[in-house]
Amino acid sequence: MSESDKNKLFEEYSARTHVIGRICDSITLLLLVGAPFVIGIYLGAMPSLSSAARAFLAVGLVWMASGIVEYFVYTPMLGAGGSYLAFITGNLINLKIPCAVTSRDIAGTKIGTPENEIISTISIATSSLVTILVIAAGVALLIPLQPVLSSPALQPAFEQVVPALFGAMAYKYFRGNLNIALPPLILISLVFCIVPTLSSATSFMIIPCGALAIGLSWMKYRRTSN
Amino acid sequence: MELMNKLNSPTMYLICGSIIAFIAAVCVVFLVRAYRTGISMGMDKAKLNRVIVSSASFTVLPAVAILLGVIALSGSLGIPWPWLRLSVIGALHYETQVASAAAEAEGMSSLSAAEMTAGSFTTICLLMSICIIWGPLLCVLLNKRYSNRLKSTGANENKTGGGFGDRAVTGMFIGLVSAYIGRYVGELVSGNGKFSFRGDPLPLIVAAVAALVMAGLMWIKDKKEVEWIESFSLCGSMLIAMAAAIILAPLV
Repeated sequence: MSESDKNKLFEEYSARTHVIGRICDSITLLLLVGAPFVIGIYLGAMPSLSSAARAFLAVGLVWMASGIVEYFVYTPMLGAGGSYLAFITGNLINLKIPCAVTSRDIAGTKIGTPENEIISTISIATSSLVTILVIAAGVALLIPLQPVLSSPALQPAFEQVVPALFGAMAYKYFRGNLNIALPPLILISLVFCIVPTLSSATSFMIIPCGALAIGLSWMKYRRTSN
Repeated sequence: MELMNKLNSPTMYLICGSIIAFIAAVCVVFLVRAYRTGISMGMDKAKLNRVIVSSASFTVLPAVAILLGVIALSGSLGIPWPWLRLSVIGALHYETQVASAAAEAEGMSSLSAAEMTAGSFTTICLLMSICIIWGPLLCVLLNKRYSNRLKSTGANENKTGGGFGDRAVTGMFIGLVSAYIGRYVGELVSGNGKFSFRGDPLPLIVAAVAALVMAGLMWIKDKKEVEWIESFSLCGSMLIAMAAAIILAPLV
């Protein structure tokens, strides 16, 4: 297939992906926001809009800011098709993004290329389906499984799933990039040591760390490209 | 007790299961379209299959951890609602935090089945749904324009032989990992009194074990040229580090 045919095929695929993605995400949003009202009809008690508004002012604004930042930061990593899926299937930081990035490494594709778009979408769709299947199987077996999964002996393992993930990813991303990785790592470690209560706002600390690492990457890029 | 029976009733399973089934169908549509287009574009079928196997194997462990989140929330919210939230849009740390805030706004002292009423349950469900709509909403509103803009940036980089987009994403990911590793350092050093070094060392140790195992697996892949090991490297590193946590937890 010639390069122009390939580009034409991808353009058609991409345009259709946006149409399908918009329709599917809109329906999903309607279903998710509508579900509490349907459940309200079943239970005979509708949600209290005033209580929901009060709680939204307490925590919702934080999640709104976080959601907007996440969209702009993660969409370039996920691609168009991947982002339509990832934002409706959730678990971005702990699952979808590492999964998409690992798949990109395995396939050896570059950000912004049609191949990367395909790989990212396949990776996130597969990950989402496996998550749905594992949880559905777990829910079906919940009663017999509950004693095993919630046994005290296994709890330390499941409590440490995120540190295990970031430790493994640290090796992959710090290797060969130590001059970019060390400054944000040292700085943020000091910040957490001086203000330990910030650990509950780790997701917000990603922003300055990422900005610093991107700044250092830019300086390195300029030095090597000159 | 009567409310909990209703929260675990077949009707609740039907409502939540239908939404999960719809989203699963969306995933299948995206997967099939991307796979077929990849093949039509001349991409290597074996490579695409490797990505599927790698993504599936990588997902199993975190999915089991997410299942534990369903169990954790099922005591106060029943099984079907946490099943829906954690199967699709949500994440355990988000769901727990938002549900607790909604419970407080409803006048409950904590998120517990004992204080739950039908009205407070539906209010909690609504808040959990609304607080996390921003990602999908922005996708609907902006994704086409934003993706085209990113594409044109990438095209310009390729023309100039650049590729800063890739480096920027790697930089962002380094920032993300640094924030979490830094948090584990902070928890150890100041988690139990500033600079007392009496905090919880387990997350940092587990992260170090995972990094060491990953280093070992990458060494085997590079030196022995065992390419398939990369597909299981992340999953394997996590599994071994999590197993280490079981052994080390009683010692620290």
